[in-house]
Amino acid sequence: MKQGAFVFVAALLLAALPVLDSPFVQSMALTCLMYAGLAVSWSMFSGPTRYLSLATSAFFGLGAYCTAWGLAKLPWPVVIMAGGLAAMLFAFLIGLVVLKLRGAYFAVITYGLGELVKHSITHVEKTYAGTVGRVMTETPSSNVVYWTVLIIALLAVFTYVHFGRSRYGHALRGIGMDEERAATLGVNPMRVKLIGFCLSAWFAGALGAAMAVRWTYIDPNTVFNPFIVFQTVLISMVGGPLTVAGPLVGALVFSLLSEFLRLSLPYLYMILLGVLLIVSVLYLPAGIAGHDWRAMWARVRRKRFGKELRDE
Amino acid sequence: MNFYLFIDLVVAGLVTGGIYAVVALGLNLQYGLMRIMNIAHGEFLMLGAYFTYTLVKVTGMSPLWFIPPMMVALFLLGLLLHRLIFRRLAATSPSIEAMESRSLIVGFGLMFIAQNAAQLTWGGGMSGQPYLDEAIKFGEVTVAANRLLVLVVVAAASLALVLVLKKTLLGKAVRGMLQAPLGAMLVGIDTRKLHPACFGLGLALAGLAGGLLSMVYELTPAMGEPYTISALIVITLGGLGNIPGAIAGAVLLGLVETFGMYYTSPSLKILISYGVLVGVLLLRPKGLFTK
Repeated sequence: MKQGAFVFVAALLLAALPVLDSPFVQSMALTCLMYAGLAVSWSMFSGPTRYLSLATSAFFGLGAYCTAWGLAKLPWPVVIMAGGLAAMLFAFLIGLVVLKLRGAYFAVITYGLGELVKHSITHVEKTYAGTVGRVMTETPSSNVVYWTVLIIALLAVFTYVHFGRSRYGHALRGIGMDEERAATLGVNPMRVKLIGFCLSAWFAGALGAAMAVRWTYIDPNTVFNPFIVFQTVLISMVGGPLTVAGPLVGALVFSLLSEFLRLSLPYLYMILLGVLLIVSVLYLPAGIAGHDWRAMWARVRRKRFGKELRDE
Repeated sequence: MNFYLFIDLVVAGLVTGGIYAVVALGLNLQYGLMRIMNIAHGEFLMLGAYFTYTLVKVTGMSPLWFIPPMMVALFLLGLLLHRLIFRRLAATSPSIEAMESRSLIVGFGLMFIAQNAAQLTWGGGMSGQPYLDEAIKFGEVTVAANRLLVLVVVAAASLALVLVLKKTLLGKAVRGMLQAPLGAMLVGIDTRKLHPACFGLGLALAGLAGGLLSMVYELTPAMGEPYTISALIVITLGGLGNIPGAIAGAVLLGLVETFGMYYTSPSLKILISYGVLVGVLLLRPKGLFTK
């Protein structure tokens, strides 16, 4: 309950942020919220099942292209919903086959399918529309975009918590621990995995649809950028995908880091990301939020204490 | 189709396929033996290409002189990376699947580091340095000399590797580890020595491919990525740990890409590669040559 109250207060404060009238703070908060939403939705499926999905960029890009095609004709909330639904449909179609694969093959094929979608859209746009990119006209105000992203991110947190507590959440964790055993105990793995995969896709697609207007000009290389999925996975892994706090902490840390380093030292920032990724995989397999800091502290103290004893 | 054009396309396909074979053999050893899904494999190809290029530019000598020492350097880098990262990763991973996905993330990390370090060191501008680019005539068919050289070297390297694996005791040990990791340890094969060596060998082979490519194509920090994807496709085509299968798969992919590009358009190359990958993974996830 305490956590619920904390989230409520944080949401109110974030919603009131435009009062400050500081474009810099607001744009930083927007990036942070986008990655928080992406990382939470990624953790929804990939955290408990340990299926490493690299399709987030594809979902995001599909959502963004829905906005590019529909913004002029449809009202804003419908565009967002449509972006999410397009990603969900894509997740359903590829999920039917790719969810049969496990381990690295699953990761590689979700990445490959994302690239396939990116190159297909590039090719289709080049051949039939005659251009690669699209310019957005009549975009909603930046406050509307900010609130939309905030709502989607909050919805993701809410869904993460409630989906995790539902029977589907338990089934997904069971699949992550031992898929055969879960199936023996009466879980239909394919159905449960599909539901989780599609649910997580909706948020990525909706976020893509909402963020698309921020760029005013989009092309496949921006919105299907593999960097989106890398950063999402990194945030979830470093934060810890098994708790909802993990991706949120990760998103905060990384948006601050990227804001201060990415523009001034872009290559060094990427190198640092790489090092962090490796270090976190090696030494913090459960992430910042999931790591047993108390046990680690006790171990360090014992070591030092033991050393002092020997010195005497 | 005209006969000479057909020969041209076959030669081009073989050159591409040969490069794929060398890159994929290294990745196949790493993945087959240690379950290291090294998505940064192509980055070592890129490093090999840049090292060769830089040394040639500084000294003005033929690139062929620098390929062997560069391979040794990459082999040592492989030993270092295995010692620093993958040994601990293997020791702390609870299952094979965990090892695969964790090594994949480590690979993405290595990819960020290598690509951006190259960007900082050499800049993003394309740099090319054609070597031996005169044409050789075989009757009516003309082939660029450097491509022919690439073809000969990759064929020799693949053949040498296959022979070592088939004929020597060392090769027998490696094949044993591929077939039965636990059984290999039980009969006294020292995996703690052979695993790092095979990892390093994979890097050295990628470097060889890079050094050869630097004579033919232009260099960019991201040049390795498509080769990683091709290597993954080749491994999937040939079957995990299947060395002759990987070579056959590489040649097949090289030919499919070359002919596919000729009949459609060069901008569809990536689409063709990913299409083959997705198709094979879905239809024959265990490889084309399994029964």
